[in-house]
Amino acid sequence: MMSGKGHSATGSDRFEYLQTLVTEFQDTDSDEAKEQVLANLANFAYDPRNLENLRTLQVTDLFLDMLTEENENFVEFGIGGLCNLSMDRECRDQILQSEAIPLVTGCLSSRREETVLSAITTLMNLTTAASRSQTTDTAVLQCMLRFSISQSPRLRNLASVFLQDCCTEEQVARAEAQMQGHHPTALGIPLPKD
Amino acid sequence: MAGFTNSSCWSTPEVYKHHEQQKICPSRPKYREGRRLKAVKVYTINLESRYLMLQGVPAIGVMTELIELSALYGVVEEYRVLDEYPAEQFTEVYLIKFQKLTSARAAKRHMDEKSFFGGLLHVCYAPEYETVEDTRLKLQDRRRYVNRTTQNKTKEQDHWDEERKKPMSSDAVATTARTSSGDDQRSSDTSNKGETSSTSQGHYLGFPLLPLPPQEFLPYRHAPSYDRLYSYQANQCRTIPTEDKMGSLHNAINTKQQLAPNISSVPSSSGGDRGIVKRLSKNPPPAAPPRFVPRTTHLENRKRKIVETNKDSLFGFVDKNEILIGPKLPDRPKMDMADESLNITANMIRNTLKKVASVPEVKPTEKKTKSAKPRRRI
Repeated sequence: MMSGKGHSATGSDRFEYLQTLVTEFQDTDSDEAKEQVLANLANFAYDPRNLENLRTLQVTDLFLDMLTEENENFVEFGIGGLCNLSMDRECRDQILQSEAIPLVTGCLSSRREETVLSAITTLMNLTTAASRSQTTDTAVLQCMLRFSISQSPRLRNLASVFLQDCCTEEQVARAEAQMQGHHPTALGIPLPKD
Repeated sequence: MAGFTNSSCWSTPEVYKHHEQQKICPSRPKYREGRRLKAVKVYTINLESRYLMLQGVPAIGVMTELIELSALYGVVEEYRVLDEYPAEQFTEVYLIKFQKLTSARAAKRHMDEKSFFGGLLHVCYAPEYETVEDTRLKLQDRRRYVNRTTQNKTKEQDHWDEERKKPMSSDAVATTARTSSGDDQRSSDTSNKGETSSTSQGHYLGFPLLPLPPQEFLPYRHAPSYDRLYSYQANQCRTIPTEDKMGSLHNAINTKQQLAPNISSVPSSSGGDRGIVKRLSKNPPPAAPPRFVPRTTHLENRKRKIVETNKDSLFGFVDKNEILIGPKLPDRPKMDMADESLNITANMIRNTLKKVASVPEVKPTEKKTKSAKPRRRI
């Protein structure tokens, strides 16, 4: 009985703590506090034990809302949170319900490398039979092709995995053909600066 | 010494931003401040790697010792000195490749910021040394792990729910009473589900409870201007208005008091490092860990106790054993309660009343006729 009470208290207290973070995020005016709480939530999303609670708290939407913010930290932490969440199938489905893909692909043009890396990984996670046409459209593929010859090894690796695992060879070939003769930077896809 | 097949190993490696140690965040509120001060940083699978970079190793020929130390956390596949990496004078930089990501994680957690032969180690992940295949496997492993863990959790929950079917109805009621006010409709599901989160993993037994600030508890809500739709049932269950901060404050304190005392009081980091979660897992919670109650609650309790005791003292009974703090007021002059002089006024009033009562009843009528005369108005 004691352990039972301990578990129930523990479970709901965990939930309450996460809820408190969400509440603080909504209520505070301080950008600094928002950044801290956002980072906390994104890191909590890394632990699978928290995923259900975070789903219940609709933290998915919280992260998605950050992707259109001016503050680059908000964007980086938000897409980081989504990257962590989207590893789980149920979270992935919740994210897909919110028409997230355009928001995530938007992050591919960020100046921040971490943001771009999180966006690529998130897109990989979000690629399902149903969503494939969106996550691997021509613009995205061309972006990935550009990244696959980047100076940054991490960017190169992730883009390569994306092209190899999420797309068919024909898709890649088609996208590549459309890029022929263009200087890579002329495509207008800014490279993230480290 | 094992070498790496990276073609870029002859070029000067870049000093990446994620190798640098960030400044710790000085401004966290207490409830989410961990035991170790940390920078504001988000960890994703992209930042982590089987490859670790160790900086600050004293250049006194301790490579063997370093590798032996690292091997405590897991099998080391490869290692080498990074001669070309910028290093402080008299220190070396090493690259170590572990067989498993979990080993690298453990090694980083334990060795970072630790002293090693007089030098301070700075340990960070080095994902840029991965091959494409390394990265692919890393992501696949991660996805598999997450989904397996959440699947196990649901299995455990179902098992747990079945086991506790009968007592669950009473427990659920008790649990709902304990959870934050107004939670009734949702908590019976999620609190029971949440209960099992600690059993499912086996090695992790308690969520470190931080004192909750007394606040209105709400899931993330959109302002009316957002048009993203969501239908979260708890939003509909919420009946407490947000303005009622006083009410919710009061309730939060009462709820906390009602909570079973078996809550771990170990404060956690603000989730910045999953390592913290793992570290805590090594300390199984004692049967009845002391409950951490925030200072504001203590003050409120004390205030309430004082008010309650003062209720009694209104009748003039003061606890003589109460310890008085502060300068003592001069004693009031002590009165002899049996002194006859205290009754003078009372006796006079009683005598007057007797006189008035003994007078014949004519007087009232006289008074009446008197009052019947009309007053002259000037």
